Amino acid sequence: MDPFKGQGGIQMLLIAEQEAQHIVSNARNLRTQRLKQAKDEVEREAAQYRSHMEDEYQKLISENTGSSGSNVKRLEEETDAKIKNLKKSTSKISSEVVDMLLKYVTNIKT
Amino acid sequence: MNDADVSKQIQQMVRFIRQEAEEKANEISVSAEEEFNIEKLQLVEADKKKIRQEYERKERQVEIRKKIEYSMQLNASRIKVLQAQDDVISSMKEAASKELLTVSHHHDDHVYRNLLKDLIVQCLLRLKEPSVLLRCRKDDLHLVENVLDSAAQEYAEKANVDPPEIIVDNQVYLPPGPSRHNSHDLYCSGGVVLASRDGKIVCENTLDARLDVVFRKKLPEIRKQLFGQIVA
Repeated sequence: MDPFKGQGGIQMLLIAEQEAQHIVSNARNLRTQRLKQAKDEVEREAAQYRSHMEDEYQKLISENTGSSGSNVKRLEEETDAKIKNLKKSTSKISSEVVDMLLKYVTNIKT
Repeated sequence: MNDADVSKQIQQMVRFIRQEAEEKANEISVSAEEEFNIEKLQLVEADKKKIRQEYERKERQVEIRKKIEYSMQLNASRIKVLQAQDDVISSMKEAASKELLTVSHHHDDHVYRNLLKDLIVQCLLRLKEPSVLLRCRKDDLHLVENVLDSAAQEYAEKANVDPPEIIVDNQVYLPPGPSRHNSHDLYCSGGVVLASRDGKIVCENTLDARLDVVFRKKLPEIRKQLFGQIVA
């Protein structure tokens, strides 16, 4: 047997084995990279989603501010109307009430 | 086995090794992609859920804050109306109180004098005492002394008893009527206060005291006239 030939064959096998290891190792690295990429993409999508939700939220706040403002204004108008009516009623019956009170004060039952 | 066969076998083994490696790599790659998608989906869903919950909480807080604010506004509004109601009622009583001055300042002394007599008789009927103390305003002293006898006599007739002794307090008087000068002092718009000799039974028959009693008694009626049409 030719010793060179034998050594050459073994050498080829060893080289093939190393290349195989590289191939598998590369695949594993790519996997790790891919998973990291997944996290990156998740963060990006989450950020987009958050941005969307924030926009909706800000819209809600501005709507509520307007709505709340109009509610408060309506409430103030109603309150003022009630008080205005109250004063009208008062001026109508005030002298009657005063007269009635004085009548009872000065009407002595003995 | 000759050299050619050996070489052939080695080549075959090399191809096999490479094929195994590539299959392995492919398997890793496929499972990596699956893992990628699953992982991404799970993480995205988890993050979105967290974000959604966060904003749902924020929105609930906005709603709550809105309700609280409106509730406070509504409460302030109600208090404002109630305060206005109290104010008008107070102003009416104040107007009546001011009007009391016209009673004792009537142009005809006879009217107020007669009123004083009736007030005294009413107290005597309530006290049913043979001897009483009487206090009045200093300004009313002459009128009171004027009507004492007729009051005592009227009481005696109504109660069917001997005329009582009425001692007028010449040392201590009821305060004078209100004026701009003593707007914060005690005042008395008119009338009398009678008491039993031992001072234990008091019949307060001043115009102001009578107004307080009448006002309290008529308050429901007054409120009904004013607020019957208004929902507070």
